[in-house]
Amino acid sequence: MANSMKSTEQLIVEKHTASLHQGFHLWPELKNGKLPALGDHRWTADLILSTWVQAETGKPPSNGLEHRVGNSGGGFDVLDFKFLPEDRRLSNDVAVDLSIPLNRRPYDRQIEIPIPFYGAGMSFGSISEQVMCARAKAAQAWKTFTCTGEGGYPDSLLAYKDHVITQVATGMFGVREETIQRAPIVEFKYAQGAKPGLGGHLLGDKVTSSVASMRESLPWVSLFSPFPFHSVYSVEDHKKHVDWIKTINPEALISVKVSTPTDIDMVAVGSYYAGAHIVYIDGSYGGTGAAPEIAKKTIAMPIEFAIPKVHRYLLQEGIRQEVVVMAGGGIRTAYDLAKAIALGADGVVLGTSELVALGCTRCSNCERGRGCPFGLTTTDPELSQLVEIDWGAERLGNLYRSFQWQLSDLLRSLGLTSIRDLVGRTDLLIYRGRAGAR
Amino acid sequence: MYHRYHLQTSPAPEIAPFPNRTRVKVSKRGLAMHLLKGLVRYRRNPEVALSRPCVYGVFSGPVGGFAPRSNSCVGCLRCTIENPEMVQVQLNPEHQHLGDSYFTPEHVDTTCYEARTGRVPVKGAGYRGPFGGEGWDGMWTDMSEIVRPTRDGIHGREFISTSVDIGQKPPFLSLDEQGVTTGESVQTFSIPIPVFFDVPPASIHSRKFLEILVEAAQEAGTLLVLPAKVLSKFAFQGQQIVPLVGREDAQTLPKLRFMPRMIELESGNEGLLKETRARFPEVTICLRYELASKEELLRHYHSGFRVFHLVANYHGRGRNGRFVLDLIREAHKTFVEASCRDEVTLLGSGGIIAAEHVPKAIICGLDAVALDTPLLAALQAQFVEECAEREKSRFKLPRRLAVDWGVQRLKNFLTSWRDQLLEVLGAMGLREVRRLRGEMGRAMFQKELEREAFSGIEGYGSGSI
Repeated sequence: MANSMKSTEQLIVEKHTASLHQGFHLWPELKNGKLPALGDHRWTADLILSTWVQAETGKPPSNGLEHRVGNSGGGFDVLDFKFLPEDRRLSNDVAVDLSIPLNRRPYDRQIEIPIPFYGAGMSFGSISEQVMCARAKAAQAWKTFTCTGEGGYPDSLLAYKDHVITQVATGMFGVREETIQRAPIVEFKYAQGAKPGLGGHLLGDKVTSSVASMRESLPWVSLFSPFPFHSVYSVEDHKKHVDWIKTINPEALISVKVSTPTDIDMVAVGSYYAGAHIVYIDGSYGGTGAAPEIAKKTIAMPIEFAIPKVHRYLLQEGIRQEVVVMAGGGIRTAYDLAKAIALGADGVVLGTSELVALGCTRCSNCERGRGCPFGLTTTDPELSQLVEIDWGAERLGNLYRSFQWQLSDLLRSLGLTSIRDLVGRTDLLIYRGRAGAR
Repeated sequence: MYHRYHLQTSPAPEIAPFPNRTRVKVSKRGLAMHLLKGLVRYRRNPEVALSRPCVYGVFSGPVGGFAPRSNSCVGCLRCTIENPEMVQVQLNPEHQHLGDSYFTPEHVDTTCYEARTGRVPVKGAGYRGPFGGEGWDGMWTDMSEIVRPTRDGIHGREFISTSVDIGQKPPFLSLDEQGVTTGESVQTFSIPIPVFFDVPPASIHSRKFLEILVEAAQEAGTLLVLPAKVLSKFAFQGQQIVPLVGREDAQTLPKLRFMPRMIELESGNEGLLKETRARFPEVTICLRYELASKEELLRHYHSGFRVFHLVANYHGRGRNGRFVLDLIREAHKTFVEASCRDEVTLLGSGGIIAAEHVPKAIICGLDAVALDTPLLAALQAQFVEECAEREKSRFKLPRRLAVDWGVQRLKNFLTSWRDQLLEVLGAMGLREVRRLRGEMGRAMFQKELEREAFSGIEGYGSGSI
């Protein structure tokens, strides 16, 4: 369309979109140093910039940016792999299988994804519809999944419905029979890692009329999901919920998303016995659209500690082979991903890293006013246009490609040909100590 | 009659300049060129040429980017990503100098937000800090997936009590033949929140500052510890005031113009205890005490003390350099092992500078927490160099300090901390803070979790904490 035919608003969006895209390309390469105010302990400037490189090129950076670990001084950042000597590594010709099953029970629908990760729940309202669609489009292209989060199922996602998990959480926002019926996987959200035990939180500024309509609530009024499910006070109660979903959609696999309390091992076993196919444990350092700072830092344990606890307990109980353990909440890189699997997960769930690929600087202003200035975690009609669906899907696809390449390389360097052989292999890890921590 | 605890919050903006975390620098020449190019390109639509990348108003002043409003910058970096050669967003060195090495600029930011708004700090994205660390940072609290009071509790429909009891509680009542209680009696009082105000730093003599503490403590229904000398000098009185009495202050005791609920003694001297108890038989006596050894603590218990205020310095270090968290755990455990924990009250102060430290300190064994430097930060006092010891630390109060403003700031601050405590209690499924005391099973320590998760991994044990 010629410039003269475009509205002022369109031209403004185009101008800034072009500048942003150029900036995402330029910053990782700039010779005059990194953005001085970018990054934090968990997501260092290097990690953010290297994620931008991967989202653009589909490969890890080659200019020296540290793309494997952050500087948090603990967890994944102090673990490394015990790679084989160069001459004993598998050659690049050797095929590597990165696929994982999402149902390990002998009955019910069998679903497999070709890469060991899928997208975390991010609700309509916490992120824009464009970002939701970009994530779904990338999931479709890579035959994996994304998740609606707890905010309803916009019609624009229907084109990708075979790759969209829908979430049932305590607020029941946007949960309808038809959304359950169309979902291959239904996820119960008992808790979220970033705000364990506190329920969802969408501040009034982001509850636009379209968000409110989807959630059947009032515009501009803050929404708090209650906690917990008021109808669930036992494993038996939880099974009742699972049965309810299975009645509406007998084909659906059931995922149970829980946070990481001291008894996370018991919770995982309970979820299994209630009929869950996937136990999704969400660590305390995960992302959120809005959460009390005290909850993010203080409540529940980081995912690095929860995964082995759950994995070992399920093994002891003799049910590990029948349940899929997905881990989320703090997985930033392909290396984090592989470490999570080596600690005992089958696969991981990505959230923040996808947003970083789309330009997030982790400025933590998702919740305020018009929301994200990059058009990601916003419902503002103008800001959300900064992310085009195709551009977003391309960036996410490139990130996936880079992760796929790194995981394959990593497995060959460990002498493995399948990601499934890495599950629980803590013997392939090295503890590097806390050097570099503050 | 039933009374729900409530403090009225109201916005109380900063009265002294508060440096922003970031500052924005724009190349004027670069901006002029940028605008010129834009005006040529979008000559039919100057609105497009002049449109700015900032949604927070940094470039919305009368001359736009030529005089950026750095104080509005939230550090999103969009401007510099769009214009890397023209705009720089830097960390503000003035902000970096807030607080000291323990009370970091981020703590000052958070405290000021809490005092300004009375709200729980809520932000998007995930946690940004170090994984864990020494002291409070190496500790997490539990949550319950299902069985718990609901989030509604936090928003007022269900009651979670934050009230705590202070005083002596005999393990059982002894009754004589007439059914009248004999022996040690129950002598407790309650405060509605498990926090109170500790003695102000020795260097601050401002009457206004003290008036703020006195009034805020009264409105909050909590306590304020003030040295007996200060009480004599300023003639403050009220049930919220806890006179702090040293050996040399014993003669000031008869001059007190009011009957306090508690008196704090700086010395475990038995003579001073007897004298104070004789003059104030109905008043709770507390020993202000730097934990040295278990034996000494038990000796004070046997000499008649039932309330202990464990003190560490402003950086949370005790006399022997150990961190306050360990000191609290040790004191609590000492009384548990001596089978008398329920007979005593443990108060504590020093190094408790964030809302999360309150539930953590209570889990470790305190009944209530006394606040020191956070009150100063809430009132925008500047730290002069390192502030570790109460006797030596210097703080600069704002010039325009006003009592009403200060009281409101502290009320806001306390409300925010109480609400954050409710978040933690709610997540754990506890209906009252008294049940949190010593609940070590509901705490998780990095050291232990790491051992459980990583033992067996090569290299673990050599560099581990």
